[in-house]
Amino acid sequence: MENTKHIWRAVILLLVLLVAMVLGRQALIPESFGEMGFYRADALDEFMAKEMEYGPPGSCTECHDDVAEAKAAGGHAGVQCEVCHAPLSTHVRDGDIVAEMAINRTWHLCAYCHQQLTARPAGMTQIDLHEHLELGSGEAIPEDACFDCHDAEGIHSP
Amino acid sequence: MDDCKNNEGYTRRNFLLAGARGAAGMALVLFGGGVALVSANTVSAGGSGPRGEYGYDPTKHRWIYLVDISKCIGCGSCVRACELENQVPANFFRTWVERYHVSRTGQVWIDSPNGARDGFDPAVLGADVAKSFFVPKLCNHCTNTPCVQLCPVGASFISPDGVVLVDEQRCIGCSYCVQACPYGSRFIHPETHTASKCTLCYHRITRGHRTACVQNCPTGARRLGDAKVLGDEVANIIATSEVHLLKPELHTEPNCYYIGHSQEVR
Repeated sequence: MENTKHIWRAVILLLVLLVAMVLGRQALIPESFGEMGFYRADALDEFMAKEMEYGPPGSCTECHDDVAEAKAAGGHAGVQCEVCHAPLSTHVRDGDIVAEMAINRTWHLCAYCHQQLTARPAGMTQIDLHEHLELGSGEAIPEDACFDCHDAEGIHSP
Repeated sequence: MDDCKNNEGYTRRNFLLAGARGAAGMALVLFGGGVALVSANTVSAGGSGPRGEYGYDPTKHRWIYLVDISKCIGCGSCVRACELENQVPANFFRTWVERYHVSRTGQVWIDSPNGARDGFDPAVLGADVAKSFFVPKLCNHCTNTPCVQLCPVGASFISPDGVVLVDEQRCIGCSYCVQACPYGSRFIHPETHTASKCTLCYHRITRGHRTACVQNCPTGARRLGDAKVLGDEVANIIATSEVHLLKPELHTEPNCYYIGHSQEVR
C-alpha cells in the first residue's frame, strides 16, 4: 500500500507543527503566567517589592516623641506629620538620616485645608485669608503670612 | 478498464479503511497535544500561599475602599501623597478630587484644577449655589471590570485580593483599557508608554499599612478595609449603612464605596 505514505507525511507534519507550537509557546509565555489566572503571577511580587515613601504611622515618634506628644493633644492630632512635611523617605532611609525634613513655610500649606471654600464641610475651621490678614481684595498674600503669628508649637498643637 | 486492473489491490473498502486509520491517528495526536496544553494552563498549587519578602498571602485578603464625601475638605493631601508615593508623572493622576457646585435649578459645575494637587481656590460663581461638596476619586477596583476583560495580552488583571493591576512588562500600550474605564482611572504613562493606574498602594497594603491617600487624609474621608477580616470597621459600615457606587448602572461591581453621595456624582 504505497499510497499510505501521504498519510504518514501528513502525520509527521502535524507532529512537527505540534512540537514547534509547544516549544514556541514555552519560549513566548513568561514562566509564572497562568499560575493564578490570565496574568504573570510574578508581577504581584514586583508590586510588593516597591519601596515605601511615606513611613508607617508612628515612624516620626521614634525620634520626635516630644513633638508627637504635643501634637496628639491638639487639633492636628489626626493629621499625619508627613501631610504638612514630606514623605519619610526624603528624611530617613534604612534608619539613616539622608536629609533634613522639609518644612513648607508658606501660607499655601495652611490654605490647602483652611482657606475658606463654600464646598468645605461646615465644621471645618475656615479662614478668609484676605479678611484675616486685613488685605484688600486682590492684594497678594505675603508668602510667610501665617508664620508671623503662628509658631511651630501652635501649629503642631493648635 | 486497464487502469482498474492496475489498481486491483486498492478497492474502495481499502481506501476508506486507510482514511479512517489516518483520521484516528490525527485525532490521537491532536488529543494528546490538547491534553498537554490544558495541563500546562491548569492553575498550579503554587498560586496560593504567602508570597514575597513579607510573606503576604493575597488569598487571605479582600480590599475595599470607602469615601465619605461629607468629610472631604478638598485639601488635596491625598493627591500630593499619591504623586510622591507612586512617582506619578506631572499632569497625570491616579487619584484626584472633584469639586461640585449645584444650583437650585439643578445646574452642576464640576472642577478639579490640576486634580486638586494644589488644592482649590475660592470659586466665583454667579449663580445661586444650593449645595457644594468635594468628591475624591480613584480606581474603583471593579470586580466585573471592563479594563481587564479586554486586555489582549494579560497585562491588566485582578489580583486574588481584589486589586486591579497592570503588569508593566506585559503591557503593549494599546490603551484599550484607558478607553474602556468608565471612571477615567487609567492613563498611558508618558515615559514607559504603558497603562498606569492606582495600585491601591499594593506595596503598602501587602506590608500591613494603609495606602498613601488614606494615611494622609487629615479628616478620615478616605478609608481602606479588608472584607475578609472579621469585624473590619469599613466592611461593617458598608454592610450596615447607606452606601453608593459610582455608575452602578454599568454593573462594573466597584469595590470603592461612597457615603454622603449626591445624585449629581457620577
